[in-house]
Amino acid sequence: MNRTVLFVGFFIAVAVIGVLFVGLGKDPQVIDSPLIGHAAPPFALKAVGSGETINLAQFRGRPVVLNFWATWCGPCYEEHPTLVANARQMQPSVQFLGVVFQDTEDQIQKFLNERGNAYPTVIDDAGKTAIAYGVGGVPETFFLDKNGTIVAKFAGPLNTETLQSYLQKAMKQ
Amino acid sequence: MTTASIGRFVILASVLVSTGGAVIGFYAGRSRSRAGLQWARRFAYGYALLMIAATAVMEYALLTHDFSVSYVAHVGSLTTPTWVTIASLWSSLEGSILFWGFILGIYIAVATYLTRKHNDEYMPDAIGVWLSCAAFFSFLIAAPANPFLSVAPAADGPGPNALLQNHILMVIHPPFLYLGYVGMTIPFGLACAALIQGRLGHSILKPLRAALMLPWIFLTIAIMLGGWWAYEVLGWGGYWAWDPVENASLLPWLTATAALHSMVVLERRGVLKGWTITLIQSTFLLTILGTFMTRSGVFNSVHSFTQSAIGPTILVFLAAVLIFSIVLLALRIDRLEADGNFDSGVSREGMFLFNNLLFVVLTFTVLIGTVFPLIVEAVRGKQMSVGRPYFDSMVVPVGALLLFLLGVGPALPWGGATAKQIRRALLPPIGGAFVLLALGFAFGARNPWTLITLAFGGYAAQVTLSQMRSPVTQLRRARRRFASYVVHSGVVIVFVAIAISSTMRYTQEVHLTKGGSANVGAYTITLIGVDERHEPNRFATVARFDVAKNGVHKTTLEPRMNQYVAMREPIGTPDVYSTIGGDFYLSVMNIDAGAQSVAVNAIITPFVGWIWGAVILMGLGGVMALVPQRTAREHVVIPVIEDAVEA
Repeated sequence: MNRTVLFVGFFIAVAVIGVLFVGLGKDPQVIDSPLIGHAAPPFALKAVGSGETINLAQFRGRPVVLNFWATWCGPCYEEHPTLVANARQMQPSVQFLGVVFQDTEDQIQKFLNERGNAYPTVIDDAGKTAIAYGVGGVPETFFLDKNGTIVAKFAGPLNTETLQSYLQKAMKQ
Repeated sequence: MTTASIGRFVILASVLVSTGGAVIGFYAGRSRSRAGLQWARRFAYGYALLMIAATAVMEYALLTHDFSVSYVAHVGSLTTPTWVTIASLWSSLEGSILFWGFILGIYIAVATYLTRKHNDEYMPDAIGVWLSCAAFFSFLIAAPANPFLSVAPAADGPGPNALLQNHILMVIHPPFLYLGYVGMTIPFGLACAALIQGRLGHSILKPLRAALMLPWIFLTIAIMLGGWWAYEVLGWGGYWAWDPVENASLLPWLTATAALHSMVVLERRGVLKGWTITLIQSTFLLTILGTFMTRSGVFNSVHSFTQSAIGPTILVFLAAVLIFSIVLLALRIDRLEADGNFDSGVSREGMFLFNNLLFVVLTFTVLIGTVFPLIVEAVRGKQMSVGRPYFDSMVVPVGALLLFLLGVGPALPWGGATAKQIRRALLPPIGGAFVLLALGFAFGARNPWTLITLAFGGYAAQVTLSQMRSPVTQLRRARRRFASYVVHSGVVIVFVAIAISSTMRYTQEVHLTKGGSANVGAYTITLIGVDERHEPNRFATVARFDVAKNGVHKTTLEPRMNQYVAMREPIGTPDVYSTIGGDFYLSVMNIDAGAQSVAVNAIITPFVGWIWGAVILMGLGGVMALVPQRTAREHVVIPVIEDAVEA
């Protein structure tokens, strides 16, 4: 038995497997955002359908699920039923809000009529709100606590399990 | 019986056959039973047949659009072209593991067949190790990554990952990569068998070298194809980004290349037995690490499959193989006695040793850079990424040293040399170094690393070419030696082309409306127009450019944006005009069909095409080395050529 080989080998093995094991629990789709822990950038945008202006500040006092999406985005189709189902179940204690950018109102209205409409959707015409939130692609979802502070950000289509785990985080604050 | 249930049945059978064969193999190795070895071989062939059958069932389901099979429902689509449908097998997680099993089955069957008349003392354990790995992958297919689940059939499916559909190279690149990755199981099995038996005799070296060389060829070409694909598709004009998964393919390549070199010393001088085996084991372990990286969802990369449950399973396998390898090595390494010894450091074998050291340094450098973000996050809870500057600053100097050795090593004789011999061997190629350096300087190269690469490349080129004189004679009498110089000449070209193409690129952003022109270097581009095209599986916005050089029309380029239904963002596809001297590359940044306007990134990259050609030359050299040399049947007495065994 060559003890040097054994000890050096085990040292390398423990280090490599240990690091990979720790990495297993993490999800690279969870993107650190400099905004996490900070107040969500304020906005007041026109709602699809009603045309009234919705101000983010009006939802202060309850957690908000802020979902950036567009009708030209495939994964947004995929996650829409999840958002609608969870919104129907959890509102009004939690507020869901969709922000659509680079899109037309007709397209959005058609999408919502066909696929369900459970919460307000606003149009970010110039894309300024998406820029303020540092959105890199759609869908991206921000979780705000009741004080309007961003608690987490998720890139890509959400499933119920992921959505609920982040929401728990937002509700704890 | 439905297609899905046939698939599940075949996979379950493959779990049983591979497990049974592995047990029989190890038993036969211990008891030295010839009948046991025969049975192990039969099980190996049986496993291969079952994997071929399972893959055939899946391809049948894909081609007949049987959406009751879960994998087909996941990646199939009525609108995708047939070639995409066939390639869908490796477009997503479950299918790619099945494809892995298919290739492993073929490798095991071929290796079992080719070794049927030799090395009976090693083969039972080798088959045992191969089938153990096979059992693991069959288990993966049968349980956590089962592509044959029955689902309620939908009318149509989403189609495979759009990136796969975007370029033909994406269909060729994965099979080559798998042939490289999976093939490393065979040398691993042979190396473990040598350790279990406690000896590494001369008879096993030849099959071991061939078993390592073949997947090395595939892996070499696969890495190049991946880079070429990135260049042709991703639109940033580069071919290597030190992405975690690119690194994952490079790591086993580095250790396999080191092992191929240490084997030369082993064959020639009878030393470095334990070291060579360690390198072969590391190569296999790194392929499993690479598989973990792409399939665990731990690393964010263009290559990552979506998050899945198989990450932990692969990690357990990696840990098991790692512990098995370490214990085996610790138990047996002292039994592998050297048959010879080192005479001098300033010799061919000394340079081989130095080469191995550099390859190991490179492997650790790339490995640490790749997993460092995980370490930082584990320790400090912060996300970070290790970028290009780290890799470039660490890898480029070691790479330059390797290129230098590629010149010096083959120039030195085996076994040590006198000062006069050393001077005579090492001084003349300085001429070659000066020639290439001067040429580069004349053409405007000023980056210090580019100039160093040109000098070392010129030196190595002169040494390599002088060793390749009288190719016809060498091909007959010293094929492997000649083949290794073919590979080396490819390597020299790759180094020089990478140095020039990465430091002498010219990039310019151009905004044009229909009919407008702009000058980019010696080229003039004119926007003919912007079209919208509806294709069966995507919607494309295409810009058409007329490209002229010095007033003469050269070509029409059509960079485009493709929007696939299942993708978050449109995928830009650049278009390239390639010449021997370099490429002219147009990549869309912004396009508007209504306004007939487009913004493109125009990139002129000298010598980039040489990289692809030179890597193919490396692969050809490898193939040449694999072809057995026919000397026994010839009745001519062949004079012994100095260094005839290998360079």
